[in-house]
Amino acid sequence: MTTMTVTEGVTDVFNAAAVERLGAAEPEWLRERRTHAWEVYERTPMPTTRSEEWRYTDLRRKLDLGALRCCTTPPARDEFTGWPLPLRKAMAQDREASGHLVIIDGRVVHADVADELAAKGVVLMSLHEAVEKHEALVKEYLATEAVPAEEGKFAALNAALWNDGIFLDVPRGVHLDQPVRVTRWYSESGVAYFSRTLIVAETASQVSFVDEVLSDDFTAQTLTSSAVEVFALDGAKVQYVAVQRLGRGGFYQSVQRTLAQRDATLDTLNVALGGTTTRVDLNARLLGPGSNSDMLGLYFGDEDQHFDFNTSQDHVAPNAGSDLLYKGALDGHSRAAFRGIIRVHKGAQRTDAYQKIRNILLSPHARADSLPNLEIEADDVKCSHGATVGQLDAEAKFYLMSRGMNRIQAERLVVLGFLGEVLSKLPLGGVSEKVTRVIQEKLKHHV
Amino acid sequence: MPQNETIHDLGLDEYKFNFVTEGKPVFEASKGLSEEVVRQISAHKGEPEWMLDFRLKALKVYESKPMPTWGGDLSDLEAVLDEIHFYVRPQDRMGHTWDEVPQEIKDTFEKLGIPEAERKILAGVGAQYESEMVYHSLKKEWEEKGVIFDSIEDGLRKHPDLFREHFSTIIPIHDNKFAAMNSAVWSGGSFVYIPKNVKLDTPLQAYFRVNQERMGQFERTLIIVDEGANAHYIEGCTAPVYSTESFHSGVIEIVVKKNARFRYTTIQNWSNNMYNLVTQRAMVHEGATMEWIDGNLGSKLTMKYPSCYLVGEGAHGEILSIAYAGDGQHQDTGGKVVHVAPRTTSSIVSKSISRGHGRASYRGLLKVHEGASQARSNVECDALLINDTSRTDTYPYIEIEENDANVGHEASVSKIGEEQLFYLTSRGIPEDEAMAMIVRGFIEPIAKELPLEYAVELNRLIELEMEGSVG
Repeated sequence: MTTMTVTEGVTDVFNAAAVERLGAAEPEWLRERRTHAWEVYERTPMPTTRSEEWRYTDLRRKLDLGALRCCTTPPARDEFTGWPLPLRKAMAQDREASGHLVIIDGRVVHADVADELAAKGVVLMSLHEAVEKHEALVKEYLATEAVPAEEGKFAALNAALWNDGIFLDVPRGVHLDQPVRVTRWYSESGVAYFSRTLIVAETASQVSFVDEVLSDDFTAQTLTSSAVEVFALDGAKVQYVAVQRLGRGGFYQSVQRTLAQRDATLDTLNVALGGTTTRVDLNARLLGPGSNSDMLGLYFGDEDQHFDFNTSQDHVAPNAGSDLLYKGALDGHSRAAFRGIIRVHKGAQRTDAYQKIRNILLSPHARADSLPNLEIEADDVKCSHGATVGQLDAEAKFYLMSRGMNRIQAERLVVLGFLGEVLSKLPLGGVSEKVTRVIQEKLKHHV
Repeated sequence: MPQNETIHDLGLDEYKFNFVTEGKPVFEASKGLSEEVVRQISAHKGEPEWMLDFRLKALKVYESKPMPTWGGDLSDLEAVLDEIHFYVRPQDRMGHTWDEVPQEIKDTFEKLGIPEAERKILAGVGAQYESEMVYHSLKKEWEEKGVIFDSIEDGLRKHPDLFREHFSTIIPIHDNKFAAMNSAVWSGGSFVYIPKNVKLDTPLQAYFRVNQERMGQFERTLIIVDEGANAHYIEGCTAPVYSTESFHSGVIEIVVKKNARFRYTTIQNWSNNMYNLVTQRAMVHEGATMEWIDGNLGSKLTMKYPSCYLVGEGAHGEILSIAYAGDGQHQDTGGKVVHVAPRTTSSIVSKSISRGHGRASYRGLLKVHEGASQARSNVECDALLINDTSRTDTYPYIEIEENDANVGHEASVSKIGEEQLFYLTSRGIPEDEAMAMIVRGFIEPIAKELPLEYAVELNRLIELEMEGSVG
């Protein structure tokens, strides 16, 4: 691999010809969007640690784009019994759902929605299918206002090369009482997967969306790139949850943007447990007065895991609120970086915006970097942020040990309690239990 | 009881040091920065060869480093630098009594109240006018105890070994573009040595005055506080208001040795046409304490982050920062603490007020290296916004490599409290006056730390009567 391919990110596999092939059978507007995205990608330099947003993740060391190929595994069939066991197990642990969608090796192989919801017009399907069947909506929202190619190097790459994705549309006034559950499985090592998620919650609708990503350990670095666009129109209520449980070797990269219109509530939870490198860019935009976003995050790292969260809370409209809480525990040689910014734009009076990051370091070799920023251009606001890095609560540990637990048992329990605070803030059927179980599993290695 | 004053009467937007002293300098370098200017400065000072080499090397480093793209807006700076004089020599020799100082320069400092303060409450005074120290004096009792308080040039001349041992070791040439610039053209500043176990009970003060238009001031200060010693140093800065920009870039290096204690107070009150880009750093050894009290009220743009490197076990660093950004001002200030040794502790408290179109930014770094076990640190930032055109930012970097450390950061931003305002106005206090009271209350925790009673250039702050006026 030459230096050029690394700096520009144009490789034997990811190039203009690949973009053309992907768009060949697509409508012209979509083909143009891909071509445009590719142009943006080519002229955007690969981010380096000299840029503030990538200060803590050195892509030259963390990602070898030139070594990645396209997936060659043939598409799986829509047949539960034929799916990989870990995927089936994860689905079996889920409770009630309004609908399911399954992605195997980057392709949507299954989608279902409860009959009465389908009758009300709820749409859950692969993005390819939606381009045909709901072209107007997709054309309006896909890679336009939320995550356009101009957003950054990865957003451009994704907009040019996405090969499948999810489309969810909840019509005006429709409430989904149970979550929509997406489960993804990646099997092929050494490849790059590009997917997009587009969620449109129309006026006064209500929906929860849980996206769980799974894989075994990879034998070579594998990139899962995703762009997530969530629109909550006036008065809509949306919960978006992403649970990352990739195996080692996985580079999980996700650009997410949420747009909340008047009186909308748009909450997010990002759980990162697996993978070798995790990079999440989350931007919450409060566009309508009275809108609110709670942004939750939870991560638990061990060995050489690297997590990098880059969040922003953009208060464009007055009278809106946002509240961010990210908590992480770091063991082994793992490392977490958090960079977050609250921007109160001119005229966004009576903003309430908060940001809290708490890390505990469980090992002498773990590392945590926090950079919580504020940029305030309105005067009638309440904003605060806080960041702490420390150890396990010694008193809690002592209490448990005085009740007969040994040190390790006590430490594991205190970690669970510490991280559990985040889960308790977004009680969604099954998510909390599932995540807790995975953390417990990881904690078995904590000594 | 509070007096009837409005927020305007607080005087924060009024500049009282806007007077110009007539008089011709004995030498003025041509505009802009060049090797010739650097050689002229060195020749005027009659420096040893190594210092000239050092300056020339620094000039190369300065030229090779790009202009910073973070912090304040420096896009016009290069044009400004082409127009300023990097070296202006106001007189030929430095005075040790005020009688030796030329009348017009002496008048300037009389107006600023420095000689009076010296008589009353200071252990020693240094005064810089344009590029040179024009006055330096230390009370006899301290001189007898071995305290050195001299101009930096005299420090190099009279104490070459002590000077060379420490000079540029704390802030190397390569540290940043403006440290490199200062290293090339430095002129004036203080050289301070506090011997072992000597405890100064009154402060030393240095006063920096820029008088002339289109002038660059580059003071360089080196302070060595020996084991067990204790001292306090205050610097104040003012300049007349011109329509063209002026430039000030200082480098302040401090060594605080084992179990010593040192406090450095800055009251920066440059006129609103001044760029103020300063590098200040202290190396803090075992059991020692370093305190920065950094008040930034003036200048067009200030970028200044006093820092403590806690390199000895149990060292302690404290930074108290207060910034006021009025119309057209950007205060990009804060602090840096680097924990290298075990059981080191630190605290940063920052308060800022933005008014009109002013912008106050807190920028800080808190770093705990692996091995700095049981390090403790706390950072608190509060910002007050007065108008809907005001802006405030907070950029705290927190980098932790040690699991046995506890650090916290908190920041809050608020408008003047409506509830507080309502309470006060319902008691019959006019709104403007009530606002002034709330501002005073906001600043109070830091005002308490300021040496109000003796630093005369704090007159404006004293007039604020920030303490105890509510209730």
